[in-house]
Amino acid sequence: MTGGTPLGGEPAVDPQAAAAHLAALQADRAALADRAMQPWWYDALLGLMTFGFFASYSLWFPWAPVVAVVLYGAGARWLMSVYRRLTGTWVSGDRPGPTRRAWRVWTVCSVAVLVPAMVLELLLDVRGAMAVAGAVLGIGIVLISRWWSRIYIAELRGER
Amino acid sequence: MTAVEPRFDAVVHAPPRLQICGLLAAVDTMEFATVRDAVAVSDSVLSKHVKQLEDAGYVQVRKATIASRQRTSLALTKAGRAAFDAHVAELRRIVGG
Repeated sequence: MTGGTPLGGEPAVDPQAAAAHLAALQADRAALADRAMQPWWYDALLGLMTFGFFASYSLWFPWAPVVAVVLYGAGARWLMSVYRRLTGTWVSGDRPGPTRRAWRVWTVCSVAVLVPAMVLELLLDVRGAMAVAGAVLGIGIVLISRWWSRIYIAELRGER
Repeated sequence: MTAVEPRFDAVVHAPPRLQICGLLAAVDTMEFATVRDAVAVSDSVLSKHVKQLEDAGYVQVRKATIASRQRTSLALTKAGRAAFDAHVAELRRIVGG
């Protein structure tokens, strides 16, 4: 890859060199895309953790959600370290760009499922509502996580 | 989305710093070893270029000990991301895009 250096404040980069730089940057991103997809079990564990966390509210033990928060936090940190070890990178779920639409769908779905479930379980004493919400959100996060990664990979490959 | 003002940045442009910035722009953080392998340079060469980017305020270096091994991760700062985006916009302008 060749390139110019600024001479007298003006960059000495000709269009061919600039195009080569841009092509090289895109090639690096495409190579990154090849390793960006997390394994299926990563999402399966994330889904199980999400189910366990929300379902803990259906146990009706005051300490259960506290234990669930601690376990969920530890599990999330472990999954994060696993992803870093597998890919050498970390990317936030709410990063700017096309992946935001998956993040927004997750946020809306979470609110739409959790608010009624909390009202049913915590205010109207309908036992098991939060466990059902946990199951729905557990499956939801698996699907949305895979979707998020596909959007991200397409973005890296310049397909968007 | 606001348009990025094209601006040539000599710190970003010099090889392999453009490549390093390009990789870091696509992620939040990237392990030092992953960047080294992608750029295909030695540890010392990468360290030298990372130091230059760090001195310019474009890259943040974080060190953490995980399972008794020290891991170094790199991230573009807000200024680094802005400089890289502006530089890419300038390359596109030169190409005529």
